[in-house]
Amino acid sequence: MSEFLQLLVAGLTTGSFYALIALGYTMVYGIVRLINFAHGDIFMVGAFLGWTVLSALAAMHMPWGIALLLAVLLAMALTGGIGVVIERFAYQPLLSAPRLSILITALGVSLALENGVLLIYGPGFETYPHLVSTAGFVIGGAQISYVQIGIIFCSLALMAALYLFVHRTFMGTAMRALAVDRDAARLMGIDVERVIQTTFFVGSALAAVAGVMEGLYYTEINFFMGFIVGLRAFTAAVLGGIGNIPGAMAGGLIIGLLEAFSAGYVSSRWTDVIVFAVLIGTLVIKPTGLFGERVVERM
Amino acid sequence: MIKPILYAALPLMLAGGATAAFAADPIKIGVTAPLSGSYAAAGIDIVDGGKVAAAKINAAGGVLGRQIVLVPEDDGCDAQMGAQAAQKIADDGVVAVAGSYCSGAALPEVTALHRAGIAYVLDGATNPKLTELGLDTVFRTIGRDDEQGPFAANYIANYLHAKTAAVIDDNTTYSKGLADNTVEALKKDGVNVVYYDAITPGQMDYSAVLSHVASLHPDVIDYTGYFAEAGLIAKQAAALHIKAKMMGGDATNDPTLIKTAGPGAEGWTSTTAPLPQFLSGAKDYVTNYTKAYGKAPGPYSVYEYDAVAVIAQAIADAKSVDPAAITAALHKIKDFPGITGNITFNEKGDRATAVYITIDVKNGEFVAGQKLDADGKWVAVQ
Repeated sequence: MSEFLQLLVAGLTTGSFYALIALGYTMVYGIVRLINFAHGDIFMVGAFLGWTVLSALAAMHMPWGIALLLAVLLAMALTGGIGVVIERFAYQPLLSAPRLSILITALGVSLALENGVLLIYGPGFETYPHLVSTAGFVIGGAQISYVQIGIIFCSLALMAALYLFVHRTFMGTAMRALAVDRDAARLMGIDVERVIQTTFFVGSALAAVAGVMEGLYYTEINFFMGFIVGLRAFTAAVLGGIGNIPGAMAGGLIIGLLEAFSAGYVSSRWTDVIVFAVLIGTLVIKPTGLFGERVVERM
Repeated sequence: MIKPILYAALPLMLAGGATAAFAADPIKIGVTAPLSGSYAAAGIDIVDGGKVAAAKINAAGGVLGRQIVLVPEDDGCDAQMGAQAAQKIADDGVVAVAGSYCSGAALPEVTALHRAGIAYVLDGATNPKLTELGLDTVFRTIGRDDEQGPFAANYIANYLHAKTAAVIDDNTTYSKGLADNTVEALKKDGVNVVYYDAITPGQMDYSAVLSHVASLHPDVIDYTGYFAEAGLIAKQAAALHIKAKMMGGDATNDPTLIKTAGPGAEGWTSTTAPLPQFLSGAKDYVTNYTKAYGKAPGPYSVYEYDAVAVIAQAIADAKSVDPAAITAALHKIKDFPGITGNITFNEKGDRATAVYITIDVKNGEFVAGQKLDADGKWVAVQ
């Protein structure tokens, strides 16, 4: 029982990260039909920007609480800005080009971001200050830290906020309109370009939050960290039904839990096999993913 | 039909002239190491260690009156990139190669360089297989995992007096090899191995695996992978309040482990070949390296320094830059005074004598731990 609870919390923690990043994949796909392979690296850039701001503020002896808040907000704003710039210069000129061109461009952007960070910050690991304590409580024999609970709640709150944004605001309605039919939305007078940019901004900002949280929780950041996490988050988005927001949230948590339980009860050697077997099994039964409704366009 | 013959002869003449004119060209020594990817920092440290050796040799007049220049090539800690890197430096005209960090990348490199007839002195790849392939061009300045595995097992059984142990690797050639050797030796030493499995590097969260391991209550958890994951494992084990003694192999020997794990690193032990700061012969090297690169040398750069130095000695002995002559001279090296000790290669190309020690994390830094004395007893290093 205690092991089950321990694995559950571990799975929900990693799942929260995957879900936050999966949202970026799914939002962009829903609106411009692009699998933004650079999104994992956006998450990495967010982690580095947060680290930079935090280190700079720490050097100015700012209290940790304020420094942390500023680091998260600045990382969100800057990473969101980078997402918009990437969209403007790399993807926008190709929006009406064949799908393959824009997909290759996304891979190029991913390499550019990784190697850009490699040049600026160097190849080594940077470490976040040890701000969050490992303190926690014992429940049912499982050791649960306050920061794990914090991460899970923080990402749930962000997901709820995103859901409200998409369903209750004018911009959110415009996004959903674009997802249904871009040309029709344009004819209705929606500023398509602005909506696409907002989507990239929000997706990148969420990835930045995940990046800073990852940095605070795991401490270790590296220019290559976006690759595996990005891949898992992409899997989560596909599992949940790419293009579908609740699907990405559920997919992220499911992948996290699958990883934890397969590592704990089967063998960590088999984690990837189990995760991808579940993905393939799901897609065989329901090709659009768990929550997907639209027919997925073939690439 | 005179013209075509003339044209055909022209490149030959040019080539002949070029060889004569550039006789004092620098001698190229290849360095294969991961210069991109997760282990790029270790790879760059290795290249820098080689450069310190080259600079010292060149300042003393070079070899055979010619300067030495290093040709670094990125193997990305990856088998496929390693094969390409080896081919590339072989085509580049290197006379010998001193390098390697990941055994997985080094494996295709040793065969590719053997085909090209070029000697390869390994400075960081510790998998036994590399010198067991029967290739006469492979040498190694560092010890082997099948020496380190029993050393770690001996430490667990006879110094820590542990009854049960969990061994975790990361499925790379190096890590799996070391883990296999450790598990085998642990069984011989009467320690019960309650868990033996692999994790996926780069995954960040290992608390699920650790929770499972904790439920088996081992006295010792031995992680044979690399430092990046070791730091995360130490941190997450501390957060889970795991009481087992945490330790790892020589690839966990990196300050990043302590920076990542913070207080969670306290009490961590790594088995390792002696570090630059614990080598009496390496004082000058540490000074030179620190002066040149503004930071202390990493754990493998001393072995790269010795690899470059021993190749230079072989070139001088052979009085030739012919790769075959250099290989033959390397086989004849005897008691070459390297900074990691005297170097003699056995018939396989391994060091005739390799030494391991343990280092412990204490107050946020690695300090010397234990070593085996001549009678096989555990004694403090310093």
